[in-house]
Amino acid sequence: MNEDVIVTEGVEKTYEDSGVPVPAVRGIDYRLARGEFTAIIGPSGSGKTTFLNLIAGLDTPTSGKVWLSGRCISDMSGRDLSDFRRDNIGFIFQAYNLLPVLTVEENVEYIMLLQGVPKPERHERVMDILEKVGLAGYRDRRPLRLSGGQQQRVAVARAMVSNPSLVIADEPTANLDSQTSGELLDMMRRLNEETGMTFLFSTHDEIVMERARKVVVLRDGRIDGNADPEDFQ
Amino acid sequence: MLAKLAWRNVFRQRRRTLLTLLTMTGGFVLSSVSIGWMDGSYGSIIMFFTNGSTGQIQVHGRGYLDDPSMYTTIDDYQAVGTALDSVPGVRTWAPRIHAGALLAVRPAGTGAGAVFSNSAAASVTGIDPILEESATGFSSRIVEGEMLAPSAADSSYSAVGRMIVGRQLAIVLEASVGDSLVLLSQAADGGSADRKYVISGIHSTGNADQDRSSCYITLSDAQLLFALEGRVHEIAVMTDNLGIVDGLTDEISALMGERDLDVDSWKTFAREFYNGMKADETQLRITIFIIVLVAAMGVLNTILMMVLERRREFGVMKALGTRPGFIVRMIVLEANIMGVLSVLAGAVISTAVLLYLSRHGLVMDPPIDYGGTVFREMIATINPACYYVPALCVLLTASTVSIPPALKAAHTRAAKTLRTV
Repeated sequence: MNEDVIVTEGVEKTYEDSGVPVPAVRGIDYRLARGEFTAIIGPSGSGKTTFLNLIAGLDTPTSGKVWLSGRCISDMSGRDLSDFRRDNIGFIFQAYNLLPVLTVEENVEYIMLLQGVPKPERHERVMDILEKVGLAGYRDRRPLRLSGGQQQRVAVARAMVSNPSLVIADEPTANLDSQTSGELLDMMRRLNEETGMTFLFSTHDEIVMERARKVVVLRDGRIDGNADPEDFQ
Repeated sequence: MLAKLAWRNVFRQRRRTLLTLLTMTGGFVLSSVSIGWMDGSYGSIIMFFTNGSTGQIQVHGRGYLDDPSMYTTIDDYQAVGTALDSVPGVRTWAPRIHAGALLAVRPAGTGAGAVFSNSAAASVTGIDPILEESATGFSSRIVEGEMLAPSAADSSYSAVGRMIVGRQLAIVLEASVGDSLVLLSQAADGGSADRKYVISGIHSTGNADQDRSSCYITLSDAQLLFALEGRVHEIAVMTDNLGIVDGLTDEISALMGERDLDVDSWKTFAREFYNGMKADETQLRITIFIIVLVAAMGVLNTILMMVLERRREFGVMKALGTRPGFIVRMIVLEANIMGVLSVLAGAVISTAVLLYLSRHGLVMDPPIDYGGTVFREMIATINPACYYVPALCVLLTASTVSIPPALKAAHTRAAKTLRTV
């Protein structure tokens, strides 16, 4: 189990809509090995978002268990889960979601501040990751003064700077043009290879699919097999 | 990071923040000026009232206030006065005798056999002209004629006495300066107390009710007339500082030791006047409460807007591992930053307004009558309450109204607000 960053066993999530149960995820058993660069694809309503929310501990399963880095997160209390997320998961959102009142440097160091990392170490790690994402010269800028691609690079830096076990990226290229998307994915792939950090994407974008090492297809709340990334190239 | 985030968040929507600051600052200034104005006015009214007649503290024989009997006296008033002189904070004191009497007047220029044409019941006060002048500035309210002379002749029972009568009493008696009158009463020894007087002056306190029944003779004369040699009914104690009256009352009370005396502050012996003041204070508190409530609504509205606008941001913070407590502290701090800025701005504006009002005051035109005492000018004061009361109100309000929105923000469900992960 230690070789797998994510393990889910019979994970189900059912919502209620006006008293009517609506199953979004229907008993998924899934394993994601450390160091993977995997995309989850599927049509709208297939349960991608719900599944990723369950893996990230942002939502609780109706039944089943989720293990992350060997720890069962399904039974954790809110505070423990919050700390666990902070220390083990990096997030990249579709809409970047940087904190607008903080500079690039402050956004990237935010999680380390929550972790209580000393200032010199924070500074060193922030400068290192900003160098890697090509934004070393932008550290004093506020997010709104950056392009969409640059903001998403900052989000990548924020997600990776604390060396989490898993980086979850939801539709990270949805708001970017294809050239910027390609450059961003190439950069993320390179960082994945350099650091061995595990990436899990949810996407509709073929640019993501063709760069993923594995593609998992989700349909009607169930895993409907794997696709070959080369099929998208 | 917490302070940095809070500070920058406050200024994200500058126009809205400015409007909120204006609301809070306005609340502070209104509260502060109201307190300064009312305290100043109360201070003026109380000092005017007590300095002009009653004094701030009074010493009586035990039970005199409840039952003002002729026989309840301070027997060794000179010794009491000497003791009072040794108390820091006591400016001066004045002994008095009070008695009821009937006055009948014979107009000046009429012969010895002329009829005493008009009569009226009166409250006679025996005063020590020198001590009374020092305590209440008695002569400044003599509108016609002259002050009583503390001469030896006054204590000679065979001579015609001199009396000052209240303005309205003089009107009732149809008497004026120089007219003769006869005082009829009963002395403490059971004998009759009667004597002939000449009106030496007309006195006006500004309180028509009081002036309709009051007349004044010298203390030595009153002691002789009412068979109260060496005794008085009351010692009025004067101080320049209203703030020390309660402490001073206790101190004097302790000093009186085993003497069978009551020592009371103006709040007790002028209870009606004091209750009127308390009622006004209650009104002030209600006014401040309404002002604070209005400011609180403004703050609450702003904080709610801030929280609603930033729901997604809170979702992101939660997803990144921010604990709910951090978000609560951040929002409460944001409200308090606005509170502190409002307090600072409000303090500057309030100081300017109160300084002006404390130096120039406001002329009352027409003058206002407060319990029979007429005030022609009202002056504000600046004291710590002008600052700490509004500051506490603003900061407590900011903290209180920010907590519910802060808790709401802290419990934002990241999965719900982010729509996707």
